[in-house]
Amino acid sequence: MTLMRAPAIAIVLALAACDRGAPPPALPPPVAAVFPPPAPVRPALMSSADVDARLRAEWQKAGVTPTPPAGDGTWLRRVWLDVAGTIPPPEVARRFLADTSADKRARMIDELLASPLWADHWTAYWDDTWMGRDARAPIVDRGAFRAWLHDVLTRNVPWNEVVTKLVTASGLNSEGGPKKDAYANDGKGGAPAGVNGAVNWTLKYVQNPQDMAGTASRTLLGVQIQCAQCHDHKTEKWKQSDFQSFAAAFVRTRLVPLDQGQGMTDVKRVEVRDLDHPAPRFSKMGDLDALMKAKPTALDGTDLTTSPDGVRAALARWITGRENPWFARALVNRMWGHFTGRGFVDPVDDLRPGNPPAAPELLDALAADFVAGGYDVKHLVKVIAGSEVYGLSAAPLAEATAKADPEVKLWERFRVAPLGPEELLNALVSATKLDAIVRATGRMDLAQIRYRVKQRYGFLFDVDEESDAGDYEGTISQALALLDGGVTAAGASVLPGSALADIMATPGDDAAKIESLYLRVLSRLPGNDEVERWTAYVADAPSVAPAAPVTRKGKKGGKGQQPDPLRRLEERSAVEQGSARVHAYEDVLWALLNSSEFVLNH
Amino acid sequence: MSHDHLGRRAMLTLGTSAVFGSLVARWLAPTVAFAAEAPKARAQACILLWLNGGPSQIDTFDPKPGRATGGPFKAIKARAPGMMLSEHLPHLADRGDKLAVVRSMSSKEGNHVRAQYFVHTGYAPNPTLVHPSLGGWTSARLGDAQAELPAFVSIGGPSFGAGFLGVQNGPFVLPKAGAPPLDVALPLGVDRARFDRRRAALDAMEDRFAKETGEPKVEGRRQVYAKAVRLMQAPKLDAFDVTSETEATKKAYGDSDFGRGCLVARRLVERGVKFVEVVLDGWDTHQNDFERTEKLMGQLDPAFAALLDDLGARKLGGSTLVACMGEFGRTPKINGNDGRDHWPGAWSAVLSGGGIRGGQVHGATDDDGSHVAGPATSVPDLMATMASLMGLDPAHSEMTPVGRPISVTDGGAPVRALIG
Repeated sequence: MTLMRAPAIAIVLALAACDRGAPPPALPPPVAAVFPPPAPVRPALMSSADVDARLRAEWQKAGVTPTPPAGDGTWLRRVWLDVAGTIPPPEVARRFLADTSADKRARMIDELLASPLWADHWTAYWDDTWMGRDARAPIVDRGAFRAWLHDVLTRNVPWNEVVTKLVTASGLNSEGGPKKDAYANDGKGGAPAGVNGAVNWTLKYVQNPQDMAGTASRTLLGVQIQCAQCHDHKTEKWKQSDFQSFAAAFVRTRLVPLDQGQGMTDVKRVEVRDLDHPAPRFSKMGDLDALMKAKPTALDGTDLTTSPDGVRAALARWITGRENPWFARALVNRMWGHFTGRGFVDPVDDLRPGNPPAAPELLDALAADFVAGGYDVKHLVKVIAGSEVYGLSAAPLAEATAKADPEVKLWERFRVAPLGPEELLNALVSATKLDAIVRATGRMDLAQIRYRVKQRYGFLFDVDEESDAGDYEGTISQALALLDGGVTAAGASVLPGSALADIMATPGDDAAKIESLYLRVLSRLPGNDEVERWTAYVADAPSVAPAAPVTRKGKKGGKGQQPDPLRRLEERSAVEQGSARVHAYEDVLWALLNSSEFVLNH
Repeated sequence: MSHDHLGRRAMLTLGTSAVFGSLVARWLAPTVAFAAEAPKARAQACILLWLNGGPSQIDTFDPKPGRATGGPFKAIKARAPGMMLSEHLPHLADRGDKLAVVRSMSSKEGNHVRAQYFVHTGYAPNPTLVHPSLGGWTSARLGDAQAELPAFVSIGGPSFGAGFLGVQNGPFVLPKAGAPPLDVALPLGVDRARFDRRRAALDAMEDRFAKETGEPKVEGRRQVYAKAVRLMQAPKLDAFDVTSETEATKKAYGDSDFGRGCLVARRLVERGVKFVEVVLDGWDTHQNDFERTEKLMGQLDPAFAALLDDLGARKLGGSTLVACMGEFGRTPKINGNDGRDHWPGAWSAVLSGGGIRGGQVHGATDDDGSHVAGPATSVPDLMATMASLMGLDPAHSEMTPVGRPISVTDGGAPVRALIG
């Protein structure tokens, strides 16, 4: 009976597994009858060509024609943004465009996976996914959490182990120190000895374990159990008691404070330890009664209280177990969604029978491969990024295809999406050499600027990267920041150290300079029409009137108050008066930085 | 993703095809249905005075003089039957006839982040869906997309966004009242002529990219940019500049960021802005509650009172709903640090204008102020009251991108006694 509720493909797979003589997958109790566990495949791992073959079959079946492949420059920019979180340096773009070998894309993917940028980018990604934008409780050390992430990502620790470490984390949260520094710390500096940054995830939920259970279920398993927090799920099988029993596994930690009565501005050091009963601190919160009394139980009904090593260890084992029908699919679906703009299941974290996947066989094959290959995220990325579908262009679809698949559910056209805040900031720094500009001023550092930008603009550029929105959804404040803000003002100037100063100082005619700008900002060569247009723009530049002296209009800065570094950047940019020609080039760069081609991943 | 997520632009592009006909109908349906059902709006605008951190109800709007937990403040009689307020709210007491003090608020959310979300959106947080704040609903359903100024402005804090209604309906944030918004001025060293040349050059780039990809997002971005530029050049931008106000007016609001924020809020409402939030932070008084709360009331009292006077003098009192609240109340029990801790069980909210019947106290707490002694008012009820006065029908549901019907609050109903 339970199987009847499962999608047809799940049944086929389950039967196929039986046919091969593999042990039949344990029939999950009714509550979990969603998908069977991904059937393990033989050690031969999947390749991008396998993905291509399966998708071509899907396209043929659906009667859709994919767009032509994207050009090398577009593909290069895309893969850098998606794998490394930034745009390629101009010398990389130039070399790649000139390279005529057949395997240059595969080599580029390998290069990126081996680069330290991999860990930098995915640290920011998972930090955002797990900690959100507002985890600033006095006992949460964001920097230590990022340092932990950076370490496991650098070592490419198998995904099941990463999740186990996260869920069962015990130990010290932080070495103390100012909260401000912890918040600005990107984790690249490594974890201090004796600190287990992973515990900060548990500490984020010090007052709301119900949210921890919901986030764990959603981000680790793609299951939206938290709907059942308030009521039985209306369309799926989840009952409120299922949620409470699952959440009961998240209240068994003890916190040992080491810094009582410390200042408000410092991170308080806390040790997290396992506890063999629900923590009394939650009993003070009235609405957690039911959760405190419930018996810790996994979503498929597995009792989590019978292991000698504790409830959290049992929970982690269940989450990451081979038999878990969601774990591998959730990660595969999320990564596929990250690269192609839309998961097999959309939204990426909503796996349930009522929300069936597109191309389910490919999802299952990738999930089974992920398990068989030892939960190797880099391998998965290599397969996806090397595929034909990832290399399609964002050109308009033929009419028949648009009719056959109006929502582009089969990825036959590359989905265009705005860069996330971290990627946009990285791209701006890379395109303008803002880091060198800041260094040349001698009085500011880039970390300070980045922190400031994130603090001020982070929420402004808070695009929903997991949503597959048809429309561009942007705000006036975002537009204003790029049109008039200090980062673009300074970035598009000829300040010493800047990209533009370099380009202006390099011998070569206007065409050469425009080419350099395009390679640096858009990772491609300009078309003839563009060279012509910009050359005319520079030639027609009006003479520069003697500018009024720039006065410091920013806040005077009260006692102990530092002047706003973004304002100082903008003031710096206006100090260089420049000629008509320099102004015209600043305008070109400004226009490139404000263009949709720059701000969108396409 | 879902059809609901496709916006107007995509519809215009694709709307000619027969397949999309039904989508267009589906997309238009909620709006049309809404217009037909919408109750008559009493308020044209709403100003939310947000007391961030959760003010002590006992030290402000629900005094308990003489009780062990009453604290050191005296209670004074306000200009309304049965309305006593803290002695540190004298200006508001004088305007008691304009206020509806709701003393029977209660919720289950005692964590700042969760409670702030709840009181802004009318829903307990739930990671499946980001619920729109009341300001977001207002912007999406009542805002004029062609207006010079954004429909939803938040002063001194980020407020909450519009969730599934899209970031374009989230708040335009003014970090600090009295200063112009961030980045509305031309970059230093760039004059108007050069800015226009830059924009023309940018336009040419956008044309080329749009043609190459046929991507509707390019046009969407263009429209947002056009709005941003319109704002940079808007005559109504003077709303943010209070220097033209008389000394007497500025003095009445008080020399504080919050006072200037209230004054800017009034100027914004005069210029057609629909929803303004003004944040007064610092009410999380676990230590030194009395000293700190007294100081904060010293900012709240004159600013709130001057705002009511000013709106009245401009004949905007009847059409502007003013609401004042935080995310929860504070314990009657005074802790060892002379502070009060979080208390969502019983707390106060204040409403005025925009169709509210002033001069009343609604609901009550028990002798110590620990529990609601009836009639209880839930957060969704309070929000449904505000929404219905704004012309947003709390009974109406809209489909979210995942096909779940969502109304403006989680099952709240307007409190009739509050409406005049």
